[in-house]
Amino acid sequence: MKTWLKALRALIWKDLLHEWRSREMLTAMLAFAVLVLFVFNYAMALNPKARAEIAPGIIWVVLIFAGSLGLNRSFTAEQDQGCFDGLLLAAPDLSLIYLAKAISNFLFMLALAVFIVPLYSLLYNQSLFLPGLFLVLALGSWGYSAVGTLIASMTVQTRLRDLLLPVLLFPLLIPLLMAVVKASTAILSGLALSEVQVWLNLVIVYDIIFSTAAYLVFEYVIKE
Amino acid sequence: MIEVRQLTKRFGHKTVLAGLDLHAPPGSLVALLGQNGSGKTTLLRILSGLLKPGSGQVLLQGTPLNETSQSERQNWGVVLHQPLLYEHLSATENLRFYADLYGLSQANQRIAVLLEQVGLERAANSLVRTYSRGMKQRLALARALLPKPQLLLLDEPYSGLDQESSLALNQLLQEELALGHTVLMTTHELGYALQVATRFDLLARGRIAASQPANQLSLDGLQAWYQQTLESLQANKGGAA
Repeated sequence: MKTWLKALRALIWKDLLHEWRSREMLTAMLAFAVLVLFVFNYAMALNPKARAEIAPGIIWVVLIFAGSLGLNRSFTAEQDQGCFDGLLLAAPDLSLIYLAKAISNFLFMLALAVFIVPLYSLLYNQSLFLPGLFLVLALGSWGYSAVGTLIASMTVQTRLRDLLLPVLLFPLLIPLLMAVVKASTAILSGLALSEVQVWLNLVIVYDIIFSTAAYLVFEYVIKE
Repeated sequence: MIEVRQLTKRFGHKTVLAGLDLHAPPGSLVALLGQNGSGKTTLLRILSGLLKPGSGQVLLQGTPLNETSQSERQNWGVVLHQPLLYEHLSATENLRFYADLYGLSQANQRIAVLLEQVGLERAANSLVRTYSRGMKQRLALARALLPKPQLLLLDEPYSGLDQESSLALNQLLQEELALGHTVLMTTHELGYALQVATRFDLLARGRIAASQPANQLSLDGLQAWYQQTLESLQANKGGAA
């Protein structure tokens, strides 16, 4: 167990250090997020009511599309210099590679969320600093990373990976997106957490089912 | 020990390995020769578990390849065409990362020894992206030797190495052989390989077409054997056509 945890920590630390030095993934994600927030801000400059109503939609559109840029990069970076082969040869458990990648991608999604919430609040003059919203963002980001990491590990081995990732990923995300957007809308409307419990439960169940399934099938997906 | 029986591998309609047999006993170094595209790298990727064989039997250290556990695979040292190193990490960080995956104890000590053995102690803290091809190859060798493997699979290990580094590699390989470890390497560098190999196998048309023990073989003799065998295979192919 100690070796397993040590390997997991090493895999996550390697992803974070590599990203800190290369800035390949977060730069693309943050640039996309800023661009979308600016475009929506100017498009709805004269309609404050509409802006408030579609805030959850904008936030999740930014997270999902910017996140897909990161998911693609997370595995293509491993393919440079054959590093993915290195992981397959050295990892004590192949599913550990999935778990570490999913956690790394989740941390990058959280960093993106932490960046866009204040930026949105500033640009749209609407505070999103609500604990309930952060809970939804965290749960939704984990579900997205759990599924996205598995699909990215499949598509990265193909030449059409940029096209295949969204085509395969987005249909699987429909239940998650439905739940997180509904939950976010309710929280931004001022409803208590207990009143959005049904949507939160759906997100939690989605996270558990897809994380477990992805962890179990990853070994078979990445082998030739 | 490596034991390969009737191994086949096809990519689409192309047959790369066609009933290959190979045996490498403990403490031996088999140098696999062959022209480009003859299937040397495919064989090494199959033996390292990165590619599934078509049919046939592969025994590594006495265990069938498809029954080897991930912990057993961690006991193999593999050098491929690509160095399997992270460009934005330093040599020490790369080795530290792999040491953590292998679960090595006293990793820092082992890393320092290996970096010294491959002559990279001065560049240990430089990012790998600043390394030359030869330096990356030396670091790849250090990575492969990190878990003290009993089985070494090396794909053109002399590639990019200067004379001094090639001789240092041979020194390392001789130490591995003295420990009774098994080495299978592909190479085009007959001169360096002759210093350490116990046997040369020539891979052609998906099989081991000829074998030659290395003892008391001169470089000229080896080159002549290699050339004549290839020409004879070409002639047979022409005759058959």
